[in-house]
Amino acid sequence: MEKSCNHYTSEDISRFVDNELPLDQYHAVAQHLIHCPECSRLVEQYRSISAVFNDHADQQALKINPDRLRQKLSQTIPYSKKNLLENIVGLFGKNIYLQLASIIVILMISLFSFQGALFSPTGPSAIVTSVDTDVASVMIIETQKEKHTIIWFSET
Amino acid sequence: MVRLIKIILMFTGISCFYFFSRPVPATGQILTDIKVIHASNGPVHIDPGLKKIISELESVFKYTSYRLLKDQRLNLHFNQKGRVNLPGKRALIVIPTDMDGKRIRYQINIQKNNHSIFQTRVLLRNNSSITIGGPQFNNGFLLFNISGSVQ
Repeated sequence: MEKSCNHYTSEDISRFVDNELPLDQYHAVAQHLIHCPECSRLVEQYRSISAVFNDHADQQALKINPDRLRQKLSQTIPYSKKNLLENIVGLFGKNIYLQLASIIVILMISLFSFQGALFSPTGPSAIVTSVDTDVASVMIIETQKEKHTIIWFSET
Repeated sequence: MVRLIKIILMFTGISCFYFFSRPVPATGQILTDIKVIHASNGPVHIDPGLKKIISELESVFKYTSYRLLKDQRLNLHFNQKGRVNLPGKRALIVIPTDMDGKRIRYQINIQKNNHSIFQTRVLLRNNSSITIGGPQFNNGFLLFNISGSVQ
């Protein structure tokens, strides 16, 4: 590492300029700069470089027209969305009739599977809420296939 | 194209919502069908009138003969009593009391010699059935298949 003097390297000075040094080291370097012309010169150099860079960046930022930027963004976003939709639709092929047929087939398959789920028994055919009998035993059975409810009682 | 997809999806959604979410109308009558079946281990016989439920019965019972003794249809209002005379001085009384969602609440009573021997309350899914069995008769057993549908 290049040394600006016998005490601090150029990197230490650069970090000092950028306020990246721990507080104790920062104070030590600041004390050192009072007596060291070489390090002081280096500090000045770094500060002038920073100032030039910051000024340039500010100028570039000021050149940006926010309205125009907003307009460009608003043009770009729908275009991206459109591309995405075109890609999805493109999966069905380029023929418009083929696209329509594909969509209808997909919808019909979805609809029929949805219907199947709804029409298939979702619970027992009958829910037994109460039983009142003097007989010895009562069994309530539910068949596996159609979930048909069967009550079996032994008549005394 | 995108608009077309949207229209189709919206139409499908509305159709599904309409067909599957509408409640069963509770103002009509309840068509109650009662099948009286004699199940036994006699000569193999399956009555053609039991085609719809025989696979369910055979999945539980191991009888070889299922004979349909009586098939009685009752068109009942809510809280109207329906009576079916059964073999062996028995009677089956069914009363559809109200609706619970898409299920019909039934009160079912089996009597023997005018004395109640079995009572139950069930919530029967619309257009579905329940089977009650147990009474002995002619070397076999009686099964009562009760189905209900809102008219």
